[in-house]
Amino acid sequence: MKASKAAPRLAGVLMVALGALLVGAIVHIVTVLIVPVLATRDAFARLRPLGQVNATVALERPRPDQRLLPYSDPAVASAFCRFDLGAGPVRVRAPASRSGFASLSFHTRRGSVFYALTDKAAVKGRLDVVVVTPGQLRALTAREDEDDPSQDLRVVATTNEGLVVMRVLSLSPGLYAEAQAQARGLSCVTEPLPK
Amino acid sequence: MLIRVSIACVLGLGLGLWTGERALRQGGMFDAVTIGPWRVSTKAGTAEADPYARAALERSGEIPLALGEGLQFVADADDDGAALDSRCDYLVGPKSPAARYWTLSLVDREGFPVDNAAERYGFRSSEVLRRADGAFFVAVSRQAHSGNWLPIGASGRFSLVFRLYDTPLGATAGELEKSAMPRVMREGC
Repeated sequence: MKASKAAPRLAGVLMVALGALLVGAIVHIVTVLIVPVLATRDAFARLRPLGQVNATVALERPRPDQRLLPYSDPAVASAFCRFDLGAGPVRVRAPASRSGFASLSFHTRRGSVFYALTDKAAVKGRLDVVVVTPGQLRALTAREDEDDPSQDLRVVATTNEGLVVMRVLSLSPGLYAEAQAQARGLSCVTEPLPK
Repeated sequence: MLIRVSIACVLGLGLGLWTGERALRQGGMFDAVTIGPWRVSTKAGTAEADPYARAALERSGEIPLALGEGLQFVADADDDGAALDSRCDYLVGPKSPAARYWTLSLVDREGFPVDNAAERYGFRSSEVLRRADGAFFVAVSRQAHSGNWLPIGASGRFSLVFRLYDTPLGATAGELEKSAMPRVMREGC
C-alpha cells in the first residue's frame, strides 16, 4: 500500500528535478552568452564616462584605493582614448620610449584586441597608426597613387567604436611620473576621408 | 502539474544563475594553461577566447595584455599547490623566461594591489637586486626583509602576478617548461 503511493511521488520529484536541471542548463548558457553582449561592466563601459571620443585620458596609477580596472600593473602608466569611426578614420599617434617599454593595444567595443604593437615598431621615435573600417580601407586604397602609396600603417577595426590603450612601463618607482607624461602623449584624431 | 512546472522553473533559474555566476568568477576555464603554479591564457581578450573567458572578462573589467605586448601569469598557490596565505613567507625566483622586461606584483582576490605601509606593490626586472650570477629572489612576506621585499599587507588570500613585456614566447607560452618560470617557494608560516 505504502510502496504504491511512494512510487508516483518519487516520479514527480524526479520530474521536477529533471526539469529544474534542464531550465538551469539553459539559463546558465544564456547568462554566459548574454553577459558580453550587454557589456555593462566591461572596461569600455567603465572608461566611457571619463572622456569624450578622441580625448586622451590618463589613467590613475594602480593603487589599493584605485579600483577601476583590476589586474593593472602598478609599474605601468597608461592612457586611453575612445574612437568612433563613424566620422572617418582615426589617426593614433604616440611617443615611443627612449628606454623602457611602451605599447599600444586596440580594442573593439566587444572587448577583444584586434591589434597591438610595441615601441619596437616606432618610426622616428613615434608610433603612428590609422584605424579604419573595412569600407574606409577600400576607399583609401582606391584613391591611392600606385606609384606613391601611402606609408601609413592601416589597421582595420571590426566595430565602429573602440578603445586605444597606451601602456608605458616605468623602469623604477622614481621614473613613474616620466612614464605618465609619455602615456599622456597619446593622441587620437579623426581624419575625414577626402571627398 | 502547473505547480511542478513552476517549481522546476524557479529552481532551474536559481541553479542556472548560480552556476553561471560561479563560472564567470573563475574565468576562462578552457583557455588557461598551467605552468607550475602559474596560470596563463594566450587567448584572453582575443576574438578566439571561449565564451566563459569573454563573459569573465566583461565582469572583471580588466584590459588584458595583448599577445603582441606581453603575457600575464597569475599564481594563487605555491609550488606545492597550497593556496597563498598572508600568514606565510614566500620566496619567488630565481629565473624568468626571455623578455625585454618583467614585473612581479601582488594583488588581492579581485586583482587590486593590497595596501601596505611600504607602498610597495611590485618589482620590475630593471630594479630588482640580483646575485652575481644574475639570479633574483623576491621575499613575499608580512615582515620586512632586506633586499627585494614585496609586502603582503593585510588580506588573507592573495595572488601573485608575473608579467613579461615584449617576449618572443607569444602564443607558444603554453609550451614553457616549469623550470623556466620563477618558482614560488614557501619558506615558513
